[in-house]
Amino acid sequence: MEAGYPGTAANGAAADGNGGAQQAAAAPAIREQDRLMPIANVIRIMRRVLPAHAKISDDAKETIQECVSEYISFITGEANERCQREQRKTITAEDVLWAMSRLGFDDYVEPLGVYLHRYREFEGESRGVGVGVGAARGDHHHGHVGGMLKSRAQGSMVTHHDMQMHAAMYGGGAVPPPPHPPPHHHAFHQLMPPHHGQYAPPYDMYGGEHGMAAYYGGMYAPGSGGDGSGSSGSGGAGTPQTVNFEHQHPFGYK
Amino acid sequence: MEPSSQPQPVMGVATGGSQAYPPPAAAYPPQAMVPGAPAVVPPGSQPSAPFPTNPAQLSAQHQLVYQQAQQFHQQLQQQQQQQLREFWANQMEEIEQTTDFKNHSLPLARIKKIMKADEDVRMISAEAPVVFAKACEVFILELTLRSWMHTEENKRRTLQKNDIAAAITRTDIYDFLVDIVPRDEMKEEGLGLPRVGLPPNVGGAADTYPYYYVPAQQGPGSGMMYGGQQGHPVTYVWQQPQEQQEEAPEEQHSLPESS
Repeated sequence: MEAGYPGTAANGAAADGNGGAQQAAAAPAIREQDRLMPIANVIRIMRRVLPAHAKISDDAKETIQECVSEYISFITGEANERCQREQRKTITAEDVLWAMSRLGFDDYVEPLGVYLHRYREFEGESRGVGVGVGAARGDHHHGHVGGMLKSRAQGSMVTHHDMQMHAAMYGGGAVPPPPHPPPHHHAFHQLMPPHHGQYAPPYDMYGGEHGMAAYYGGMYAPGSGGDGSGSSGSGGAGTPQTVNFEHQHPFGYK
Repeated sequence: MEPSSQPQPVMGVATGGSQAYPPPAAAYPPQAMVPGAPAVVPPGSQPSAPFPTNPAQLSAQHQLVYQQAQQFHQQLQQQQQQQLREFWANQMEEIEQTTDFKNHSLPLARIKKIMKADEDVRMISAEAPVVFAKACEVFILELTLRSWMHTEENKRRTLQKNDIAAAITRTDIYDFLVDIVPRDEMKEEGLGLPRVGLPPNVGGAADTYPYYYVPAQQGPGSGMMYGGQQGHPVTYVWQQPQEQQEEAPEEQHSLPESS
């Protein structure tokens, strides 16, 4: 337990570092894009369950983005209440599964329980140690490495997105000091007039189209980065995705 | 004025139909006739001619159409439930065969940031975002599948926001999402419901066609309303080819690699 606590603190510190870096790079306030899942990832997942001839309108893509963030906040709120009730500080995977069951997502609990179990087996195998403390450390270490990789890929995606969407922000990205918040907000306001509202405007087609192109570009960058880092690992990663696509495709046609 | 008044009778028919479903079928004909009369009035000449001369046949035709619509609705529900069962079976199979736990379909850092948007959230274990990444993937897939069912019911090939609104309305566990879709989208979903009855109407006897010519006439009307509601329908249509062009590179893995 004591070993677990430092690990969690380290994870928190790493997250804080990432958050701090992003905040320093962008603006003190949480940016709009940080509130939503990347649209390229969302679209890729949506297409797995749709037939090949299906098209997705831009407002539908944005709506799904909003729904996912709302889902995370909804489940997290319930999980956090349980933690506070039991006077614990850390939200665990079990708390997340419990919250899903409590909020009606019963169908999710069994598949995700299996997923969590297999994930822990994977973590144990990757470290090759059976000791609890060792496993915890291994988990932390692996998580850290994964975090770094994710952080780099995400940074690349964000940079690409900023470059495509806002020249000013691109300059800000190149230089550590961020641009002034007011110009940034003004730019966002111009692109999305109802930005003051809670949800993105569905009729900003040109911006949406441009953003989609940017996201697609961002989607490709992490893949190429992965190829650069490890050819065999990347190949292994690629094959399952292809299999998944082929596997889901017939289902979509039904 | 007339376009706005016409949808109301249709919605009345829909409401009557939905209400009559649990009660016995005998209760349906009276309710059907009440909204049927206003529906017939707007077209005027064609429907009014057969109505007064053959009231008994009209009532029989109503019953026949209702039965056909009911059967169609039941078949549709069974088909959709089967799709969902297959979906969950596929998800379990996919999870049991998962070998790659390093690359998640959604970025963990982003998930963690959204979790921490709640100020009450203090610390998050490393496994929670991992579980959330998979949960959100399944959530997107299920919501998209349920939305696509509505797209198919309306005989479209483009998944739209009102399809998502319909899925949210029809699924209890999605109640927490009602604020995300405007009520206009839900109202449009209401318009979509009568369209479900069109196929059995077409399949019905030719005599029933004159009566249900009104919903068919309102179909294009609602389409026009849809176009009017969205200020950029032309932009949508114009940009679809571009989207297709963008999809082609996505499907062909070689092009993304080259670019």
